[in-house]
Amino acid sequence: MQVHDFRARLVTWIDEYGEQLAAPLEDGSVTAQLDHQRRVQRMLFDHGWMRWGWPQAIGGFGGSSILRAVLGEELTSRALVHTTSWSMHEVLGPAVAQFGRPELVEEIFPRLLRGDEFWCQGFSEPDAGSDLGALRTTARLHHDGWLLNGEKLWTSWAHHASRCVVLARTGQSGSRGVSAFLVDMDSPGITASPLQTMAGVDEFCATSFVDVEVPGERLLGDVDGGWKVAQYILSCERGPIFWQRGAWLAHHLGKLLDSVPDEGAAALLGEAYQLLWAFRARSKRTQDRIARADLPGPEASVDKIMIAAADQALFDAARELMAGVIETDDTASGLVWRREWAYSRAATIYGGTSEIQNDIVATRLLGLPRSA
Amino acid sequence: MGDVIEDDERRLMSQTLRRLAEELDGTALSAALSAFGYSELLACQPREAVSTLFEALGSAGSMSAALQDVLVLPLREVLDAAGHNVVLPPIGARCAGSLLGDTVTVRGLVIGARPGAALLVPVTADGQTAWARVSDSGLLSTRMVHGLDPALAIAEVFSTGASVTVVSTGQQATALWDDVVAAGRRALGYQIVGAVATMIDLAVAHARDRMQFGRAIGSFQSVRNRLADAYVAREAAAAALELAWAADDEFLAAMLAKSLAGRAARIAAKQCQQVLAGIGFTAEHPFHRFLARALVLDSVLGSAAELPSAIGRYLISAKTIPRLVDL
Repeated sequence: MQVHDFRARLVTWIDEYGEQLAAPLEDGSVTAQLDHQRRVQRMLFDHGWMRWGWPQAIGGFGGSSILRAVLGEELTSRALVHTTSWSMHEVLGPAVAQFGRPELVEEIFPRLLRGDEFWCQGFSEPDAGSDLGALRTTARLHHDGWLLNGEKLWTSWAHHASRCVVLARTGQSGSRGVSAFLVDMDSPGITASPLQTMAGVDEFCATSFVDVEVPGERLLGDVDGGWKVAQYILSCERGPIFWQRGAWLAHHLGKLLDSVPDEGAAALLGEAYQLLWAFRARSKRTQDRIARADLPGPEASVDKIMIAAADQALFDAARELMAGVIETDDTASGLVWRREWAYSRAATIYGGTSEIQNDIVATRLLGLPRSA
Repeated sequence: MGDVIEDDERRLMSQTLRRLAEELDGTALSAALSAFGYSELLACQPREAVSTLFEALGSAGSMSAALQDVLVLPLREVLDAAGHNVVLPPIGARCAGSLLGDTVTVRGLVIGARPGAALLVPVTADGQTAWARVSDSGLLSTRMVHGLDPALAIAEVFSTGASVTVVSTGQQATALWDDVVAAGRRALGYQIVGAVATMIDLAVAHARDRMQFGRAIGSFQSVRNRLADAYVAREAAAAALELAWAADDEFLAAMLAKSLAGRAARIAAKQCQQVLAGIGFTAEHPFHRFLARALVLDSVLGSAAELPSAIGRYLISAKTIPRLVDL
């Protein structure tokens, strides 16, 4: 399927079904957001859109990952899905498809695409944030499988997820002794305790694993090969996910433009737009690379720094220009702006902090000696 | 096979332009580019011609009359403008003069001037853009600008009451000015980005070699953050320039690219200067030449301080957030 045909047919379909797809504005809870995500994903799957860009062997229709980027863009640029819940299948899907046992992937992947189940990401720990290689969760051989013990942090939607990709130590210290597992969240011994974000959203969790049995076939990739899986996941995060998040930001810039269309707003609108455009121009090249299966390495850190800058510039501009909305507006629309503004504060933190990205740029792209 | 030859030709073309920009400067470089057939290349392959040469000029710190080739190109056929110099507005201004009757008051800048050429001046006439031709540059007073970047050899031209020929008015004149501005902004954008790359290279080399507290200063996080900041700003401008040719609104895309290039110039000037510290503040070290070049060019045809507002006004009147390019 050609990209422009796909887009044209998709837009026609959205025009026809838009009302059924529209998100409920009045209920900003995570439960409402995920219910809506489930419903939209089911419709998209039943009409085929959700299956383009994924291999046929795992329930897709084939075609390039660009199709997935376009699908996300056309949905988030109309706010028909929320950018964060739309990211879930894109964060973990490609890595599980790549490193999971084929029988397992064939069985569960269509369920992910159809919105029957959500997955979460068990990477960070209380003592392993930017220094992910220091993680302490262990996986020990146990009968034909593994026994997991440890504590994960910032696991988004763990309390709503059916499965979790867990990084755990199987060997030596550091990143070379880590393996990746796909763990069922209903396994005995897992407790997901929601934490509220500063926006008042119980989006992420502290998730503990106590003697959790994981079957051997749930290993992703090789024993002690988890770092490769983690790197793959981080590369994929710079793919269709970033493209649809850029479109989500553009949608909000459009809303801002509608609400403050006066000359005095020009400088801040222009600044936010130029940073968003720089990101889009940069990301287009990255999307083309990913579609050719040429996964970006350290260059993708530049994309991450750029989208975080655009994100914060946009919502800083919103706070400045829509006087009082972020601070005092308690209407449904005020709550939406406040939640998005608050989320933008974390843009330089989640998915690899700006400090880590700068460090990668300095060492790998500028050739500076490693930091002390 | 055809592609291979084309690729080889393109590589040879790029190498030649880069070598000329590195080895020559000023009138010698202009003569060499003319012999190379630069203006013909520009007419048939503008993207390659502009991106390669102007980035090379920026990173080498050289200058030539090629900017005039770029500015004149949109005017060539309509105004029979081949061989002319285009007068640009002074820094901070929107036009280079005003017209009353058939006399014109001119105040503007000629950058990369061809010696003795006739001038085309964008002026305001009754609040609208018009183009005036000054057939003999001797009719105007000229001051060679020393300024922040003497090597750029800017000529400031001015006159009160020179006799001119009005060659274009109304919508045509405005459209031509928009095309000249877009072409100039793209070329200057590349030149700025080239100069920024050299500023970063100089600072990175220093950060790797310079030892303090027993280790290279490039291992200190604050130094690394400064250089990463400059690098990311440069990459942002480079990405915007690359897509400035593919966007469905070329004027807006060129404005964005120039604005982001100027932004990169400002960030790199600040961060690289700090990393280069004392040595980078001396006349002996080459850093200041690239800083001056990048900052002066930032100010020409709209600076990174002015353009975001212009971009915002453009969005307000368009009432939409253009995607500009699609996947």
